[in-house]
Amino acid sequence: MDVIIQIIASGLTLGAMYAVATIGLSLVYGSLNMLNMAHGALLTLGGYICYATITHLGLHPALALIAAALVCAFAGLIIYVFATLPLLRAENFETNIFIATIGIVAIIENLMLKSFGPYPIPQPLGISGQVVIGNVHIPVQNILILVTALILMAAVAFLLQKTRAGRAIRATSMHRYAQVLALSGALAAVSGVMISSIATLTPVMGGDPMLKAFIVCVVAGLGNVYGAVVAAIALGVLEAATQYVFGVRWSFATLLLIVILVLIWRPYGLFGRQQVVRL
Amino acid sequence: MIAGSRRNFLTKGSMATAATLTGLPAMLFAMNKEARAAGEAIPVGQCGPTTDFAAPDGIEFKNGLTLACEEINALGGILGRPLEPSFEDTAQMGDATNVQAAQRLIDRYGVHAIINGYNIGSGAAIQEVVADNAIIYVHYDTTIGHNNLVKSNPERYWGSFMGDPAEIFYGSGFLKFLQALETNGEWKRANNKMAVILSAGVYASNIANAVKELAAQYGWEINLFETVSVPASEWGPTLAKIRQDPPAVICITHFLPADLAQFCLQFGPNPTQSLVYMQYGPSIPAFRDIAKETANGILYATLVGALQDEIGTAFEKRYKEKFGPNAGHNSGAQPYDGAYVWATSAALAGGSGEPGNNDQNRKVAARMSSMIWRGVTGTTRFVPIENAAYSYPTQVNDSSLGMPHQFLQIQDFTKGPALIAPAPYGTAKFVLPPWIKA
Repeated sequence: MDVIIQIIASGLTLGAMYAVATIGLSLVYGSLNMLNMAHGALLTLGGYICYATITHLGLHPALALIAAALVCAFAGLIIYVFATLPLLRAENFETNIFIATIGIVAIIENLMLKSFGPYPIPQPLGISGQVVIGNVHIPVQNILILVTALILMAAVAFLLQKTRAGRAIRATSMHRYAQVLALSGALAAVSGVMISSIATLTPVMGGDPMLKAFIVCVVAGLGNVYGAVVAAIALGVLEAATQYVFGVRWSFATLLLIVILVLIWRPYGLFGRQQVVRL
Repeated sequence: MIAGSRRNFLTKGSMATAATLTGLPAMLFAMNKEARAAGEAIPVGQCGPTTDFAAPDGIEFKNGLTLACEEINALGGILGRPLEPSFEDTAQMGDATNVQAAQRLIDRYGVHAIINGYNIGSGAAIQEVVADNAIIYVHYDTTIGHNNLVKSNPERYWGSFMGDPAEIFYGSGFLKFLQALETNGEWKRANNKMAVILSAGVYASNIANAVKELAAQYGWEINLFETVSVPASEWGPTLAKIRQDPPAVICITHFLPADLAQFCLQFGPNPTQSLVYMQYGPSIPAFRDIAKETANGILYATLVGALQDEIGTAFEKRYKEKFGPNAGHNSGAQPYDGAYVWATSAALAGGSGEPGNNDQNRKVAARMSSMIWRGVTGTTRFVPIENAAYSYPTQVNDSSLGMPHQFLQIQDFTKGPALIAPAPYGTAKFVLPPWIKA
């Protein structure tokens, strides 16, 4: 029984980490048909800003989280002004922006390297303590990440469906890009803080969540925020079960196998639309 | 060019300077007579991972060579010619990247020698560039691939040297260390089971396989041999397996400090009665920052690192004064010693050779092969034909003839690790980890 509890707990932790990373990426793709490869780097930026504002400016963790979200929202706007906007009217926007954002990754990672150094740094924003179920100790921080993922999903849904700003995102043209990228940046910041609270801060920490978020997006259907969260959590539990039953080395291969199978069976993803059309 | 001030270096009378000149650097100083390092500069290069995931080490490698060049220049350089270091980034350290970076050092700067820390990859690629250009190469890749390559064709790879022993010695050294703990009555195994956890990659795999192959000889049964994917922040499923069949020893050859710290955090609340041995990661201060109390009791080892003795601590002091209190002197120590071995050998050989100067650089290599260098990491002495450092005590039983395979334990996470073996270098005794009941 302890093993099953442990697998579920580990799976939910992995799934929650994938989910928080996926929401912003999925939002940008769903709204703009833009695969933002810099999403992982924005996540890194957010993690470091939170760390720096707590450690060096002495901000309260909640304020630090907001500061990180604002800085990353601004970084999203910078990406809009210097990458998205110039490329938007040219042909092959989807390909060009994909490559351009890879360049942005290099810039952000190296800025973090120069600013904060190469060593791993623990994220000061976190909750200590354990919840014990059976003989399984589950860190409260892991539960916080899961709850955060669900809150972010609900908040994005509410924003898109019920608010004026959300309707503007879905309806208008040029401004929509700026708004979506800013929102995605803010979401990346929260994700970065959550993930770094478990995985620690390094200049390249965004790479793995970006890869996993992309896998989740492909399985769920690029652009489907709700589907992405469900898929992330399901894949996390599957990964943990694979790790226990077959061995850790098979877990990533299993994720990739699922991607292949889904692409064969439903090329537009489990929850995706048949065709994504950039408005 | 780094223009070290000979006057400042020699006349300040600091402990650091005294320690430097009581060792073999004094020989280089004597050979340089009263020459000042003011002649035509000798370009020396390093290609290392100054960006990407191995940047914590790559930046220290750069620091280590920088400091060595400054000091050597202050001692008169190589027969009056100062060293001028250049650096190329190898980022993720694939063989293709490593080879291109090494070639750029030769094409752009005309380096006489490449003095690296480590680059993961095959560990047997840069040697080709070095052989084609007849220069000297010192690296700390810690891979048996180097030994096998060099002895496969010593006539081609005469200029390539590995400044530390191959990783396979981690396996046999670890098993001997456990045996010594039992013999000395410092620890008693609860059963004969050992869990081995590795990550994909030549380094971690070779160490894990070495442990696995020799375990039975020391009475161990490997009850779990698990390969984790990187980064490994969630250890739940692996810990579930360990807790189902608790071993007396958990040997983790995966080496990233953040992942290992997460292991401690998740193992700590519900530990098994197992000694926990890790590879490399605990040597990085961030490991202790993250794992905190759960790091106490963790064992780890290194085949190359600055010793906690007179020479090693003086080096640490100089290094941290220059690069900051959090600088990782253990990584910097590698190219630091490598640079001294090469520079002193070049001085003994009558000078260093530019790329293509086969005759002169062969003389340098011959001096390196016959040298016994006592540096900050202990003794560097190369195995003939293989051009890799001897390991003490696994390969040689004389501590003056091999590089010490250091075993360390984190006994108080707020302080640096305690060096517990091998004699005569150990500065502390092993203590039972807090989770093990005596």
